Amino acid sequence: MFNLSSLVQKAQSFIDPTQALNISASDRNPAKSTLFRHQFRLPDSQTPLQEITAELTISPPVAYSPNATQGEKDKDRDRGYHYAGKLHLSESYLCFSTQPTSFLQTASTSTSSGFTGQTHGAGPGGNGFTLPLCAIRRVERLHSQSYQFALAITTWNGLSNNAASETSKTPVLVQKITIQLAGTRPACERFCDGLKKGLKSGVGEVAKLKRVVSECYSEYLLQGDGRKEATPPDAGLGMIFRYPGDAKKLRDRSKMRLWGEYLRDYGRNITLIRQPTYHKLIRVGLPNRLRGEIWEQTSGSLFLRLENPLQYADTLQKFEGRDSLAIDEIEKDLNRSLPEYPGFQSEEGIGRLRRVLTAYSWTNEEVGYCQAMNIVVAALLIYMSESQAFFLLSTLCDRLLPGYYSTTMYGTLLDQRVFESLVEKTMPILWDHLVKADVQLSVVSLPWFLSLYINSMPLVFAFRVLDVFFLEGPKVLFQVGLAILRINGEDLLDASDDGAFISVLKSYFSKLDESAHPKSENSKLRAVTRFQELMVVAFKEFSGITQSTISEQRMKHKDSVLNSIENFAKRTSIRNLGPESKRLGVEDLGALYDRFFGVLYERQMRSQMILEETERRSKASRSRAAEVVHGLPENQVIEKGRVGLGPSPTLMDYDGFREFLSGMARWAISDSPSPSEKDSVSVTPKHSYFGNSLRRREASLSPWSEGNPEPADHEFMQRLFRRWDVDCNSSLTLQNVVTGLAQIKGKGDIMGSITYFFELYDDDGDGKVNREGILRISEALLFLSRRGLEGSLTPSSSMVGLSEYEAGNGAQVDMIQGNTNERFLSSVSAFIRRCFEYADPDHPTNQEEKSASEEKEKEVDNNAFDIGEDSDEEEDLLDLGPDAPPKSPKHRKKSTGLGGPPSPQKATRPGGRSVSIAQAEAANAALDPSKPLHITLPTFRMVVLADELLEQFFESSFPTSFRISDKMPTPGASGTSSLTTFSNLGFGRASTAPPNGIAVGGSTAGVVPPSKGLRGVLDNIVTDGMRVAAEVRRRMDEAQKEMEKNAVHRPDEDEEEEEVVIGPRDPERKSVRSEDRDLLEGADAEVMSIRGSEDIAKEKNESLSLTAGSNAGRLRRGSAASSKVVEFER
Amino acid sequence: MAEATAPKPSSSVKLVLLGEAAVGKSSLVLRFVNNDFQENKEPTIGAAFLTQKCNLPTRTIKFEIWDTAGQERFASLAPMYYRNAQSALVVYDLTKPTSLIKAKHWVAELQRQASPGIVIALVGNKLDLTNETSSSNSLSEDGDEEVAEGDDTDGDARKVSTAEAKSYAIEEGLLFFETSAKNGTNVTEVFTAIANAIPETSLKGARGPGAAQTASRSEDQSRVNLTGPRDNVSKEGCAC
Ligand SMILES: Nc1nc2c(ncn2[C@@H]2O[C@H](COP(=O)(O)OP(=O)(O)OP(=O)(O)O)[C@@H](O)[C@H]2O)c(=O)[nH]1
Ligand SMILES: [Mg+2]
Repeated sequence: MFNLSSLVQKAQSFIDPTQALNISASDRNPAKSTLFRHQFRLPDSQTPLQEITAELTISPPVAYSPNATQGEKDKDRDRGYHYAGKLHLSESYLCFSTQPTSFLQTASTSTSSGFTGQTHGAGPGGNGFTLPLCAIRRVERLHSQSYQFALAITTWNGLSNNAASETSKTPVLVQKITIQLAGTRPACERFCDGLKKGLKSGVGEVAKLKRVVSECYSEYLLQGDGRKEATPPDAGLGMIFRYPGDAKKLRDRSKMRLWGEYLRDYGRNITLIRQPTYHKLIRVGLPNRLRGEIWEQTSGSLFLRLENPLQYADTLQKFEGRDSLAIDEIEKDLNRSLPEYPGFQSEEGIGRLRRVLTAYSWTNEEVGYCQAMNIVVAALLIYMSESQAFFLLSTLCDRLLPGYYSTTMYGTLLDQRVFESLVEKTMPILWDHLVKADVQLSVVSLPWFLSLYINSMPLVFAFRVLDVFFLEGPKVLFQVGLAILRINGEDLLDASDDGAFISVLKSYFSKLDESAHPKSENSKLRAVTRFQELMVVAFKEFSGITQSTISEQRMKHKDSVLNSIENFAKRTSIRNLGPESKRLGVEDLGALYDRFFGVLYERQMRSQMILEETERRSKASRSRAAEVVHGLPENQVIEKGRVGLGPSPTLMDYDGFREFLSGMARWAISDSPSPSEKDSVSVTPKHSYFGNSLRRREASLSPWSEGNPEPADHEFMQRLFRRWDVDCNSSLTLQNVVTGLAQIKGKGDIMGSITYFFELYDDDGDGKVNREGILRISEALLFLSRRGLEGSLTPSSSMVGLSEYEAGNGAQVDMIQGNTNERFLSSVSAFIRRCFEYADPDHPTNQEEKSASEEKEKEVDNNAFDIGEDSDEEEDLLDLGPDAPPKSPKHRKKSTGLGGPPSPQKATRPGGRSVSIAQAEAANAALDPSKPLHITLPTFRMVVLADELLEQFFESSFPTSFRISDKMPTPGASGTSSLTTFSNLGFGRASTAPPNGIAVGGSTAGVVPPSKGLRGVLDNIVTDGMRVAAEVRRRMDEAQKEMEKNAVHRPDEDEEEEEVVIGPRDPERKSVRSEDRDLLEGADAEVMSIRGSEDIAKEKNESLSLTAGSNAGRLRRGSAASSKVVEFER
Repeated sequence: MAEATAPKPSSSVKLVLLGEAAVGKSSLVLRFVNNDFQENKEPTIGAAFLTQKCNLPTRTIKFEIWDTAGQERFASLAPMYYRNAQSALVVYDLTKPTSLIKAKHWVAELQRQASPGIVIALVGNKLDLTNETSSSNSLSEDGDEEVAEGDDTDGDARKVSTAEAKSYAIEEGLLFFETSAKNGTNVTEVFTAIANAIPETSLKGARGPGAAQTASRSEDQSRVNLTGPRDNVSKEGCAC
């Protein structure tokens, strides 16, 4: 049985502890390569291919002089800064970091995730560079004595200025980086080979690079003399509507100058080299016009943009004019985003905001739009272009704030929990106070995280937090939050309720620009603002809060947060299920919900794993080149589809439905689990994905869950699926499933259950089920009963009335179970027989008696007795029988009246010979397979109620067989042998009797050795729905032929012959049979009485000695009737 | 409102606002607390907390108002805020039928999950967007009415009839109001009605002279069955 939490636990044991929420599904080696990407902020396409210990030397840029002598080059190399670290190569990046991380398969987790510890303000990338290979212009191998292996890298730094440089007087400064590789010679060679390969494939990307770089403000800034002519790249709405804050106070000009120098000396945008000065410059606050560019650099969204520079424009174009829920939600909030900033009081600003949010909602439909994104994006747009903001938003949602904006907001809730636990850890006294005063910390802290302090602090300060946040990562949000509480600790301890708590913080934020020590003697100290103090406390006092602290905490709380979200989701969706659902108990609904989403979740996990595995194999066969990352694939965990993690599948397809049913109902479990040598495409269509190569791991790649039985596939299940699929989109929602089950289980009345079943087979809804349908119903009855019947069953005919309503009476039931199942088979055979017996021809040959056509249409019940309905003929027909009991005509006549409004004609007119002949012909026609016929609902009902077991099947077994919350009894260990088949019954014996030997041979002869005879045939067919179909149909056709033959030769004895075919002869047959008929009529009369027709009730009471004429009476009558039927069957 | 000469007993009542995004929850609160209206109010992120007093003839009620975010995905945060709430304002926008459906969901959620006996008011907001001559008693400023009509070019934007919402409210035993945060129609009335509907026995933190001890004690007891580990803390000592 499905158990979500255990599954999750299993799943979690595979997750790298540092990767709590960054679960990348598309990657075969998540831990190492995800870490690699996170350290260098690289797109998901990158994996660590090579790494080598190296030393980086950065010399100030020199004028490009291709003719420099070797001696000059050596001299260059000795000047400048030196950094020891690791050089990494991925598909399209060359990265250097002073962080000594390693992503080798053999490296320990702590080595691979070293960058998540303390970074001393440098961010995960440390000092170094993240250089796209396409930005490398040239790599030279230096020959020197002192180093074994040294590379000189020339970049495309200043690329976009090249054209201008011809006219400009300033010489182009060429950026040159020298790297000494420290490794064995082969290792160095290998690295260089890899680099060469990468460089070659990077050549084609230079055009992209050019485009991306041209949108960077730094290019304009460093343009030199040519700048007057060019229009500057878009550096956000601030260029039009001014940047927030007082530029003078922010010392924007001096910051700009410092940045200008740094970028000139150490590379800009794509070719930038990170050194301590870089990180310091970020800490003191970015200058307005460079802010956007540095954000996209430090966050890595620049690399996303480089990968697909036109994605933003393309997305907008592709979805132009389309509508979505997200767009509606976005529209609501456009005017509600930083409304105090002039840019967002203009169409220009609103338009940009609309486009960025809309484009993102299309690229990530799972997230769509979440309130708070409007505020964040509005803030970004002040400093960057639409396209830049678009990619930065992607980075935020996917990397920096995982799960924050998802539909369940699990990331937000989780980080609130994490934050609380950090508060408890670092400020226990304050925490105790909050608990005692019942203050809800998250009311204040949730918006801090969700909108990155943007609407909590004055904008200028929030942006400074963002500066550090993009460089150092999510831990910054926690550090700042903790610092806020620490600084206000004493005031907060005085706050005794939420209101006071909130107002302390509100007033603190409003005074961030004031002096932190206004009364200090020391003028330097007095000059320190509260915001500066906040930064110091956050990054000094809470420097111990690192990214790995956060990951650990997330890991710890993840389960409980997800569980509570899922409980909430469950509660909500069950509550919204609508009135139908009330027919099922709350417990059942809960269990249904679990089953439904359990199946969907498991299936998604499985198909994902299959996909991964397929991908891995095709990848492995394509290239066995990757030197570093090889070895065994790590166990991949995909939690996709888990309800708590956001949009999860809500639709169940037919295969899912089969699996769902097989978890509830014994009959829905396959008897013949698809053997691996048999390519059973129809049962397990997903096998076709793999072709032959995957055979060897078939077990683990099965589309059905391991350990759980494989579901069956039967026409009945398809019908049920279609019936439940009321929206006709070939998939079921929880609502569909609940409604469907409520109709079966919730009715609690047999008539409803019978009607439901009938309707399943009334394809065109015209109230008729044809010959084919009758056979299919029979097949379904066999299919549903093949593992035995459940529910309240009469142990045997002799005990009628005693235990009929003693539900599932343990031992007793067990004892009689086998017997009951056997009897059920004979009931089914009787069912088929009776159906054909009472079926109506589709085109009655004699309809002149049909007094009113509307009668026939309206009164379905009329049709039930087509034989009797055409009234007087029925009498005649019965009269023809030699042994017809004298009483019979009277009953018949009266009961006929029940079929509809009493017709005076019927009562008065004596039966005529001509009529009876016509009727005989009609009856014969009904037996002719070439003449279409049908049964109506009343006929069906009558036939069902005529048989005690069938009645019980519909009343109890069928509804009970769906076990929603109780455990399903495990099917017998010895699969097939526990199945009940025809073979044990008189049915088989009788079948062999006819001289033409219909049973053996035929289409199944090849499968079953003839020696096994009919028994073998039947044993086999019951295990296979399709063959049951063929067999039953064939048998019935034969039977009808036989009947027809007899009817032709001895029209008087057609009934008798019919018996011969199906049951053993019985001397008492006739009388029982006619009584039986009476009862059947009684059954129908009962139906009529429910419909409230007075004279019908009257007539019925007169005519039916066995019927009490009330609802209660039905039970007794039913039982009596059944018992007789059973006797008869023997 | 005139202050009584002798201090009236005062008690605080926790009130939560729920409803679809942009129906005007925050605007209602802003109107009630500051008698103000902002055309472009930022969406509420998570929740906001405000307080306001409401003077009744016999006592003063201090509302502790929890204004929640309306977007569907914020719904899972709501239990955090309606926990122990004695009253709730479930707001819909009477120009948006879907918002009433959402409101009904919230009512159902509250009835099942929130404190038993919670007083719920169903509020249809943005009454100013209809062109009916308001039947309400407190529409005082004709100017506002005209502005509203001007905004709404083709007259009546109402999509949810009063009868429909009202009959639902009666069925569920809710207070019912149609309001405009924009021009103030019925806003204080809603809060006053809630204040009056809160049963005396469930009032907490009564600070009337002499009444404090017993009131708060009995209140604690009455809350025992619906409290979590953090819930038994009395709100006494709250300065306001
Ligand atoms: N015409 C009119 N507009 C209103 C009224 N109340 C609110 N609004 C407008 O509706 C929009 C949403 O108002 P809010 O109060 O922010 O809505 P909210 O329910 O708090 O929204 P969330 O915080 O997102 O859940 C704002 O633009 C308001 O100006 C009203 O009574 N009449
Ligand atoms: Mg709001």
